[in-house]
Amino acid sequence: MSDHATHLAPGQVILSRLSGVATSGLTTAILVAVLIVMPVMLGGSWIFTLGLCFANSIGVLAVSLLVRYGGEVSIGHTFFTALGAYSVGVLDTSYGISLWASVPLALLLGVMFGLLFAWPSRNLHGIYLAVTTLALALAVPEMINNFDTLTGGYEGLYVATPFIPGIEMGLQRYYVALFLLVLVCLAVARLRRSRQGMALLLAKTNAAAADAFGTRRVWARLSIMGISGGIGAICGAALAFSGSTVSPGGFTFWQAIFLLVGSVVSFYGLSLTRVLIGGAFVTLVPQLLSASGAWIPVLYGLALLGMILLGHYLPRIREMMSRKSEAA
Amino acid sequence: MSFWDSLLYDLFPLIWSGMITGCLYALGALGLVMIFKCSKVVNFSHGNVAGLTAFLVYGLSSGMLMSLSWGAAVLVALLGAIAIAFLIYSIISPLVFESDLTSTIATLGFGLIAQGVTLLIFGADIVALDLPIPRFAVSVLGLLVTGYDLTVLAVAVVTIGALFMVIDHTKLGIAFRAISENPFAAEVCGLNLRSVHYFAWITASILGVVGALLIVPTTFLSVTTVATFMLQAFAAAVIGGFASLPGALVGGILVGVLMNLFTFYVSPEYSSTFLLAVILVALNIFPNGILQRVGGSRV
Repeated sequence: MSDHATHLAPGQVILSRLSGVATSGLTTAILVAVLIVMPVMLGGSWIFTLGLCFANSIGVLAVSLLVRYGGEVSIGHTFFTALGAYSVGVLDTSYGISLWASVPLALLLGVMFGLLFAWPSRNLHGIYLAVTTLALALAVPEMINNFDTLTGGYEGLYVATPFIPGIEMGLQRYYVALFLLVLVCLAVARLRRSRQGMALLLAKTNAAAADAFGTRRVWARLSIMGISGGIGAICGAALAFSGSTVSPGGFTFWQAIFLLVGSVVSFYGLSLTRVLIGGAFVTLVPQLLSASGAWIPVLYGLALLGMILLGHYLPRIREMMSRKSEAA
Repeated sequence: MSFWDSLLYDLFPLIWSGMITGCLYALGALGLVMIFKCSKVVNFSHGNVAGLTAFLVYGLSSGMLMSLSWGAAVLVALLGAIAIAFLIYSIISPLVFESDLTSTIATLGFGLIAQGVTLLIFGADIVALDLPIPRFAVSVLGLLVTGYDLTVLAVAVVTIGALFMVIDHTKLGIAFRAISENPFAAEVCGLNLRSVHYFAWITASILGVVGALLIVPTTFLSVTTVATFMLQAFAAAVIGGFASLPGALVGGILVGVLMNLFTFYVSPEYSSTFLLAVILVALNIFPNGILQRVGGSRV
């Protein structure tokens, strides 16, 4: 890890510090340990909510990854989460196959459809891609409802097959989501230190330089969409298992925007702590405000704006403060 | 014979009504394009804000909030829309000059707030909001033309005509075009970017209100109606190249006709998927919008 750090350009050093995977190893370990012993202290409904929170964190990570490595914003990641959730749901209810097979399938499908979507949109950037993902998000619910023989239509599917038979289902729903979240975070941390990850970052920051070193922009786009799609599908799989039901209501256009809101709220962070903040925001706000539904979009909107404005003004304020302290 | 019959009785009316809705998509798309052309921001709050103002017209004219006449209600709602556009741009303007993608995400936040406010004030119920227009229908060459069709056509022609007049022949329009072409040079020449941006945002919000008021009579008014309508406007803007006003007009009409044909001949259940396919195909064949190809490229 350190031998790579010596080869980094100044910009990438800043990026690695921002992503925080390398520096906050200890805090992450402590956090994971706390989360592992958490079910001992908490009641059933909280365990359930935390499980969903972990699952949503994976989705937030998928969106943030696309922003960080691809420089693109997606408001259509429910497509991938739906893909993952329905692979788990359909394999479970139709064939009785548990997560052992359905999570790898979800990952495979997510990567495949990520590539499939990335190919026709390979030349789109910024807002064009954002609008295209918007159309993708809108197409999801109607696809689900029209394949109702497989997906159960509006009623959805119930996931009941345990991952490891014999252990209480409530605990399984918690630990499987936590395990998948930690696994994905570790994989993303690995990616950051790998040659491929560096190449992707270079393609984002300087496409011409990356081209000169043999990383084509189209390749970079395809691979980051594939990775992000795969992680999105794992999020869906975790959501299906932890939430125990899969229905079109979980994959609406608004859900896709909420994932983006979670990503913005966590400042596009890729570390476990950051994505947990994003995931917690996405999961807990609707739960806490379930009595007054109309406030949810208002609060999400305010949080989104607040974080963006904070990200804009905070460095300026900090600069002003430091200038003042220098003068004093 | 039956083929020609179906052509005459299905195809032409479908194209006609598609063109009418297409004009409305074009109104929405023109607003999006105006904002994008000068400030490089995609305004995702466009639909929700227009929806909120449509509800405002309903609330003010139905006696829910007040019982004004329809015209007065529209006037108040227009003022409201202008105020909202002013507010939104004022808040995000520091972001606009920094990152277009960040400010685009910020508009999503405003969209969420507008939707929440609509829910808070007017609830999630479906209401009917009609236009005070003469009801008649005449048959022209086997085509049924209603008063609604003619109203939409007239309003669209007048609005779009006025818009193009302003942009082509007034000082403000020239400033708008200059800033869209090269903001830096325009600023060097003494133009105030912000005031022109305000012009674009406010004009766009007015176009949005006009489009929303005209589309609502065909369905009903709910929290999501206008937002959904604006999605077709997004598609229209993308097909037109997102930076071309005539492109948005052509794109709107094209989307209206294509959607109509698709829902009638293929399936009404896959309309969003079809829209996605149209966007992807259009962006691959005409990456800079449909009108760029026709003109050829200048080297």
